[in-house]
Amino acid sequence: MSESVSSPGIDPPSPTLSARLHELADYFAAPAAGRLTEEQRALSLGIARRLVVDVAARLDPQIDPAGLWGEWLRGGLPCAARLAGICFARSEEHRWREQSAQRSSPPPVLSEPAASNAEAPTVGEPLSEVGRAYLALQIADRRRFDALGHPALAVADIDEEIFRALLLDIAAWRLAEVSKDGKRASELGEAVRAATERHAQEAGITRAGAAYSDALGAARPDAAAAAIARHDWPTLIALAAASHRRAYDDMAVALMTTETAALPSLLAPLRLDHAALAPLEASLAMLPARAVSAADYGNYPASGQAR
Amino acid sequence: MNERIIRGRIDRAGALVSADAPLLRLQQRAGAGLDKPLALPHLARLVTLAQRLHRDISRPLYAADDHSDIHALVRITPDAEGASLEITDWRTRPLAQPQIPAIGDSAAAPQGWTWECDQQLRIVALRAATDAPPIPGGWEARSLSELFELQPDEDGRFPVLRALARQSRFDGQRVQVGDMAMTLSGEALFDATGRFTGFRGLAVVAEKQASAEPKAGGALVDPAFGSLPLSDPQFGRRIDGALRGPLSRIIATAETISGQFDGPIRADYARYAGDIAHAGRHLLGLVDDLADLQNIERPGFKAARDEIDLGDLARRAVGLLGMKAEEKGIRIDAPRTDDRAPATGEFRRVLQVLLNLLGNAIRYSPEDSQIWIRVDREGDRAMVTVADQGQGIDADQQAVVFEKFERLGRTDSGGSGLGLYIARRLARAMDGDLTVDSAPGQGARFTLSLPARDA
Repeated sequence: MSESVSSPGIDPPSPTLSARLHELADYFAAPAAGRLTEEQRALSLGIARRLVVDVAARLDPQIDPAGLWGEWLRGGLPCAARLAGICFARSEEHRWREQSAQRSSPPPVLSEPAASNAEAPTVGEPLSEVGRAYLALQIADRRRFDALGHPALAVADIDEEIFRALLLDIAAWRLAEVSKDGKRASELGEAVRAATERHAQEAGITRAGAAYSDALGAARPDAAAAAIARHDWPTLIALAAASHRRAYDDMAVALMTTETAALPSLLAPLRLDHAALAPLEASLAMLPARAVSAADYGNYPASGQAR
Repeated sequence: MNERIIRGRIDRAGALVSADAPLLRLQQRAGAGLDKPLALPHLARLVTLAQRLHRDISRPLYAADDHSDIHALVRITPDAEGASLEITDWRTRPLAQPQIPAIGDSAAAPQGWTWECDQQLRIVALRAATDAPPIPGGWEARSLSELFELQPDEDGRFPVLRALARQSRFDGQRVQVGDMAMTLSGEALFDATGRFTGFRGLAVVAEKQASAEPKAGGALVDPAFGSLPLSDPQFGRRIDGALRGPLSRIIATAETISGQFDGPIRADYARYAGDIAHAGRHLLGLVDDLADLQNIERPGFKAARDEIDLGDLARRAVGLLGMKAEEKGIRIDAPRTDDRAPATGEFRRVLQVLLNLLGNAIRYSPEDSQIWIRVDREGDRAMVTVADQGQGIDADQQAVVFEKFERLGRTDSGGSGLGLYIARRLARAMDGDLTVDSAPGQGARFTLSLPARDA
């Protein structure tokens, strides 16, 4: 595609022009398709920035993250294609959760019988295996936010290949900065190796979800149904990912881009009945600018048949 | 916290006939107005409840308009013409967004941590803002009260534990993390089914480190009801985590069920809930007593030497327990305002002893009887005596009444059997004493004596 946008006679385009021509070419290729909204764009970019900053800090705390990001913003992210998928998945999940939270009912009045929390365990009670696994899943999920509550990607959740590629891109940028200092340059190589090893040992949300799923055993369908009822989407995604043996991010994208009619088959391994799926269908249906074909028709009513 | 009182008036038909601006605005946003039926369902239910019970009720109030949640406390006083409303502590906050750990005002806490815990107060998220001190390692899944050593506020209470019982927001919870004093605030989180799922909030480094340090002798405890021994944080923390939180929740829930807050339930069920709340309060009292015991039995425990007046303290004790006596038709003959007995002792500890003596006298006196409190001076001793018309204590019992866990064969849920033991220990720690003089059928006279002081 990139070749097709280089018009004869226009010498190496600026990154801005190049990006605009890419966008226009993509638009021409599928004029009726839904595009990224500003919100999706901003969320994804923010998630990418936080990831780059986190990985850079792991590589070398001396790296100036603002300088690195600023330069990459102007020249383009070297690892753009690799990051697009995971950042988009995270931003869509965040939009979904945010929307779901805003629509959920207000906190109950404590005195309501339902709120007497008969089921609520006592503070300090020892945890069951399932309880421990669920807690670990919650912790893994909360690592996917920065200190201010903005969505982020936990380094432990990143695919090994993407992590390594990003690490090398950052190291290359840093190398250009410290190339005059031979000692610093060799330390950088060592830092890349150490960061890669450390990353290999880390368990992210995919593994936490699998452990929770294993601990649940036969209770998995009930737990998945309860997660839907509570709008506990990360738990649902984690259970679904475990049942398909897929990564959490992959499953999140699959779930959020599936047509409503296809949800039962996608979640078939969780053995959920139609009634249990209803809140999930309703919640997904309300998410604006969802990247499914049906939603696209909804967003562009005039583009196809109306004219 | 907004200390202003917002008033309103409901007529007999349930219409809002007058209201201060915030209440009226809320009523208007709910689609009604003045002289229209109260359009705030929760408040309307509380009004109905107060009218049905024919008594004042004070409850938390939850309301919402199109862009915010409103939490407040409302006192409803029913009368023949309707009911009067007094709303205090009116707090408005943006609509809760339970799933997103968004801590909005980052600029307000550049030196803070953001944290989140589950409904069992186990930490699931802890992150430091840019300029914040580093977070401690190994925080994952640790108990909030273990990670943050909780300190009581000026009233001897723990905002986070109260919020846990009420499942509501809190702020101003002072904590100690290693050598660092911080202040916790948090929002209660709920899932889509309305289930409480924990808290999320900020931990901000306290501006004055010294202010979080407990004063010598554990002076931060509540004078009237005792509290945790601050001298031993280990013990206090265990009590907090293991007993206080769950008990507070039990009491709060049982009280609201017993008050038939959300409409009528079977009378016997309401009574059972009342019994649960009563038993919970008893257990909480026991926790306080045990904590106190731990404190005063600590080697080197010393009471402060304040300049006090036993007459003044006796009148304060009567003020605090007068209502309880009235419920049983007991008349308390308190020292007159010009009856003075200057003495030396720790103000709050002496008050604690007097509350114990007077509380026992009320508990064990027959209905419609009388209790006398007299102050006196004999040589270098200032004395206060609490006398009742109860069944009295024989000589054998007098020998053991000040022993630990001694309840003289009583099996009711009235006390822990520690009160008089603690009271005498306190009296002696202040160079005084506590004695009893009684005979079966003739009531009991407990006398607290302390070093007298020349006024």
